[in-house]
Amino acid sequence: MNESQLIRKAIQGDGSAIRSLYERYSPRVYAVVRRIAGDDDLGNDCAQEAWISAIRALPKFRGEARFSTWIHRIAVNSALQAMRKAESRQKREVPITETIVASETPSSDALLAQRLEWALDRLPGGMRKVIILHDVEGYTHDEIGKMLGTAAGTSKSQLFKARGKMRELLKSLNTQDNREESETWSI
Amino acid sequence: MEHLSSEKLAYLVDERPSPSERAHLKSCTRCSEELNELRIQSHNLLELAALRPSPDNWESLETRLVNEGLIRNKQERFRRFGITALPIWIQATAAILLFLGGAGFGLNIGKDETSNALSLDKIIASTPEIETADEAARAVVLAEQAYMQALLHFRQFSDKDDENQMDDPLNRVEALEGLLVASQEALRLAPTDPLFNGLLINVLSQRQEMLKQISESR
Repeated sequence: MNESQLIRKAIQGDGSAIRSLYERYSPRVYAVVRRIAGDDDLGNDCAQEAWISAIRALPKFRGEARFSTWIHRIAVNSALQAMRKAESRQKREVPITETIVASETPSSDALLAQRLEWALDRLPGGMRKVIILHDVEGYTHDEIGKMLGTAAGTSKSQLFKARGKMRELLKSLNTQDNREESETWSI
Repeated sequence: MEHLSSEKLAYLVDERPSPSERAHLKSCTRCSEELNELRIQSHNLLELAALRPSPDNWESLETRLVNEGLIRNKQERFRRFGITALPIWIQATAAILLFLGGAGFGLNIGKDETSNALSLDKIIASTPEIETADEAARAVVLAEQAYMQALLHFRQFSDKDDENQMDDPLNRVEALEGLLVASQEALRLAPTDPLFNGLLINVLSQRQEMLKQISESR
């Protein structure tokens, strides 16, 4: 069944069609909301809200954009909305001295991805949103400004701060690794 | 020598340097290495793979989609329990009981988890307050489990020796009365739900038909 057939069936409330769309797009939806949320629980909630909003809005999908683009935008908006709510409830502060706990020995690519995810989670919310939307998801500053309700210039300045902060976080991990390595050698 | 700030270096990741910045980068190893690291970092971020959500996420999403009427065919749910062959009126009852379970019955089960008894009276009589989304989600899950258990028992029961029981008009009227009360309760909680409105109309017309048959036979 092709995508437009799946969408038509999903609009009619067909569970199998909705599940097929979910199977196809959930990794990308989950990735963007999880990264913006910076937290597993909030990420799961955001992903669910994004899918509920998307399925509700499906009858309005006209096919002018690709479905993947359309649902991605819904996911981003859903995550940004959840973040606004969460930020107004509490200011999160995470110490940057935590270490990455790896469940198994990862490959170098996996380790790199793990470090990047770790650093993203530790950026302040405002910086994290912008660096994810720009550097990970490829949105322009104009688009980000519209999504966040700020000027494109604000998005740029947040991005530059975020890149610098991210670099510091990753450097702190490298320093930690080097220290642990030299301690191991000195034993 | 004054080095470029980290924000300026971050800016230069995707913008052209001014002549003075270019000159500085040529002569300063520290700044040019740092800029290179920032470029690698941005490249690596762009290459980050999608993340696979936990398989449990679909289960809870599906429950919400069903409760919100966004999934209207429950075949997928019933198939998991191997009961798609059941008569349509039983599947309709499942939809109602599942819905009512989400609205309240689940909390009662939660309070007394040793009891697996499922009765329509209990469902209709129970009106506990659900105050949080977590309580509601838990209620739905527990009610679904209890209901599916009961439905499987019913299937075993009906497969054995009770095939003719529903042929008795009085038994059918009694079952329809139960279904009527359940439909009305479901509609009280979701007055605009098209599934429950359709069921109520069907149940009322079937009950009328049965009552007519009974009065004609006497």
